[in-house]
Amino acid sequence: MISAVTGRRREGPAPSGSSRRLRRIDHAVGLAFVAPVIIGVLGLGLVPFGYVIWYAFHDWNPLVGTFTWVGSANFSQLMGDSTVWASLGVTLAFALMLMVLNVTLAMVLALLLVQKLPGTTTFRAFFFSPVVVSTVAWVLIWNFLVASNGGINGVLSMLGIMGPNWLRDPDWALVTLVVIQVFKGVGMNMILFIAALQNVPADVKEAARIDGASPRRVLTSITLPLMTPTVLLVTMITLISAMDVFAPIQILTQGGPGRSTTVISYLLYRTAFVQQDFGYASAIGVLLFCVVLVMAALQWGTRKRWVHDEV
Amino acid sequence: MTVWTGNEGHHEIFEAIAARYIEENPELVSSVSFESLPAATYVDALTTQIAGGEAPDIAWLMESYAAQFVDSGVFADLTPTFSETEGYEFDDLIPGAIELWSRDGNLYGYPFSNSPFGVYVNLDLIAEAGQENPRDLIASGDWTYDELMAAAAAVSSTTDAAGFLPHDDPYTNWNGALGQMWLAWGAAPWSADGSECQFTDPEVVEFFDWFHTQVYEVGAIPLPGEEFDFASGQAGFMMSQLSMSTGLGDDFEWDFVPLPAGPAGQVSVVGQGGVGVVAQSDHPEVAADFLAYFTNPESTRLLAQFFPPPRTSLLTTETLADAAPALSAEQLQSTVIDQSVEAVTKAGHPQMSQINDPIRVRLDSLWTPEGDAASVLAQVCTDIDPIISGN
Amino acid sequence: MYALLIVMSVPFVYPLLWMVFSAFKPANEIFAIPPTLFPTTWTLEGVSRIFTAQPFAQQYLNSLYIAALVTIGSVVVGALAGYAFARIRFPFASWLFLFLMAGLFIPTEVTIIPIFRWVTSLGLMNTHVPLIILPVLGPGSIVAVFIFRQFFLSLPEELEEAGRLDGLGRLGLFMRIAFPLAGPAIAAVSIMKFLASFNLYFEPLIFLRSEHLFTVSLGLTGYQDHYGEPLYNTQIGATALTVIPVLIVFLLAQRQFVEGLSRTGLKG
Repeated sequence: MISAVTGRRREGPAPSGSSRRLRRIDHAVGLAFVAPVIIGVLGLGLVPFGYVIWYAFHDWNPLVGTFTWVGSANFSQLMGDSTVWASLGVTLAFALMLMVLNVTLAMVLALLLVQKLPGTTTFRAFFFSPVVVSTVAWVLIWNFLVASNGGINGVLSMLGIMGPNWLRDPDWALVTLVVIQVFKGVGMNMILFIAALQNVPADVKEAARIDGASPRRVLTSITLPLMTPTVLLVTMITLISAMDVFAPIQILTQGGPGRSTTVISYLLYRTAFVQQDFGYASAIGVLLFCVVLVMAALQWGTRKRWVHDEV
Repeated sequence: MTVWTGNEGHHEIFEAIAARYIEENPELVSSVSFESLPAATYVDALTTQIAGGEAPDIAWLMESYAAQFVDSGVFADLTPTFSETEGYEFDDLIPGAIELWSRDGNLYGYPFSNSPFGVYVNLDLIAEAGQENPRDLIASGDWTYDELMAAAAAVSSTTDAAGFLPHDDPYTNWNGALGQMWLAWGAAPWSADGSECQFTDPEVVEFFDWFHTQVYEVGAIPLPGEEFDFASGQAGFMMSQLSMSTGLGDDFEWDFVPLPAGPAGQVSVVGQGGVGVVAQSDHPEVAADFLAYFTNPESTRLLAQFFPPPRTSLLTTETLADAAPALSAEQLQSTVIDQSVEAVTKAGHPQMSQINDPIRVRLDSLWTPEGDAASVLAQVCTDIDPIISGN
Repeated sequence: MYALLIVMSVPFVYPLLWMVFSAFKPANEIFAIPPTLFPTTWTLEGVSRIFTAQPFAQQYLNSLYIAALVTIGSVVVGALAGYAFARIRFPFASWLFLFLMAGLFIPTEVTIIPIFRWVTSLGLMNTHVPLIILPVLGPGSIVAVFIFRQFFLSLPEELEEAGRLDGLGRLGLFMRIAFPLAGPAIAAVSIMKFLASFNLYFEPLIFLRSEHLFTVSLGLTGYQDHYGEPLYNTQIGATALTVIPVLIVFLLAQRQFVEGLSRTGLKG
């Protein structure tokens, strides 16, 4: 998969009877095969994004029916809007916390469950099961559990601990959302890691062991470095999906308390579809795209330092 | 023709009225379909659809957004159709009830539901907490918000139940939960035309300060994030409307009493559900004609099975008994009918969609034990002044 | 180690157990203090309202058929493009691939405004069409292309060579040889896209407004405010109904499920 991302590819098959006609047919077939997805991404991704940039230069209240060119007014408002910058911080905090927690936990679970011991299949199923539960269902269940008089605080109070008001305390709300999201999605990353672990050649590990390396040494010097391409892939997927978070925020906190859980994508939704300010929402959308791009680029740019076998 | 509503439970009666209209006017309309949208996101969905040019012909709307829809020209003027329709009895409409839906003497929406707020009381719980029956307090003239909260605090401290539940979650829906109450303080958080922020007025500050005290010091109202359900016996008191009585069984003894008095005296408050014709509808005249039929005295009598009507002539215990069979004639008379005629309608704002979020966000800093109403409300005005001053 | 695993699995399993049992609790027990897992009074009050408070069965079918179409569409679109990028030499291939990479970074929320405009002007509002088209052709389809491309790269070329000698053309090679062998990739894409479609919440919230057209995700939140009263135990019961079938399918097909995911290109 990593080679897919780098665009490194094997040579295509040299047509045995390499006639020019066959190659022309190949050209046509190749283009025809990729046409649906290319046209789709163009029409439903790139062109709409172009429109968003265009909209961002307008004042647009669709309820009243106004659509007027305002130049860069939306962007200068954006620069001075503390709400937007605060939500940028929330977005980064959310994405980073989610990524670190999710990937670490997934790795720990994978290392525990890659061993073929009795019961590991059952435990894999346990950890994976939230993945197949619909997000809304999962979030609704947790909504009951984290209510300030809900199940979790009930358990804590039996232990003599006064639990915080998870979703209504600005210090806890974002963390609570992250944890609920991690429990929901970590099983998928766990499986991907288990697959990668199983792919680490046994003979390499065996050789190291014969050379007298401790199990810990085998893990840190051989297993984990060989895993890094998968880790890169998984962190990128996790990061991009973290930027897309919507249902948990809409159902659990509506971005509150205060603005403590208002990530940029949620701010965009409220600005457009609740406050009916489509122009400003479009400007926020342009910013959101830049943020995703910068974060992905940073991750990609630093890969040489930590990803094994990356050139 | 399409009509949007926030509650599917009432479609049967709506459809019955529509069927009669179609029968009498087959040349005007061949079908009327009622679609219900989830109440929680109703306004967002409606505005979004109108924005996309996909509006229904007729739409239901709650009172807090009436000003916004009337002002922005979303709803069409109903006066010509209504005043020309024979037997409509325009004068029978309670003036206070249609005020919110009128501009310059013209009517843009019809408040088919005009339902007073009252307080539901769990009599078992207040007996357990050793509190006086509110009916006795009413008789002695001592039914005040402070007495209510004292009793609620007693319930909360002596039982597992909560004390007092506002009509909505005050921490996420400030207007829906508090808008009924602050009127008894004489508070108005914005000027009549909506262009001036008055959250810093002494009455408003006093109200929010009082409410904060009830939550964090008196302990009469659940803290943010706590969930209680009145219908399953988990609260001593709850502010609501007569429709809630249909969901109350006989698991516990309960009563429905009028709102208590605040510093500015007793103020009766109604919450409304209105219907208007969407101006961008393909056939607004036909829609208005249907609406006139839908809300004429005869249809209103049918609608009264569910909704307290905005017509003086129909505000009787007999018509309302169908709407709330669980309520006694005395409860209906004292808590619903007597309050309806004189009532003030819960306020809305011409830019409700724009100011709702910023105010909620700012008020969140009030909902901590240290929260200070005066400074938070000053910030609320700083936040919303740029939005509303253009009015 | 088992003790550790058991403790760690609590936040994954307990919510699901709590959900199943709470569906049979009277509303006031859901917030009982101290909290209970099992109902003290078993009641069908909540469960009995699942299908009457909302057309839940219809919503369930909607979700299933939308997810099925999305899955089939994504497999076809993804396999075609993935095969072409892996096997066929055609002009601009690497540029087009780079373009897809960039498309991956456009969040759904950003483009929803223009797409919303198009959907309304095409009269597709309050239909299931956007919920099917967007995930199959939009930027959400890119991951499927990647998975298939990687799988076909790992498929030995000799297999196709034989077919070529038998006189199969490009289309034949793909249809007769490559695609039938792509089981693991098909499984992985199907699982991912089916779950993603079933989980969709943002797009249905924007594009749907009639209860009978709702997907399960929207329907579930609808129990919160019907008649202005939250129907807690009904909502939980409906949630359980959403979760249990998927969970049973998963537990029965666990091996194929996990293997499908692991045997795709998603490895180092």
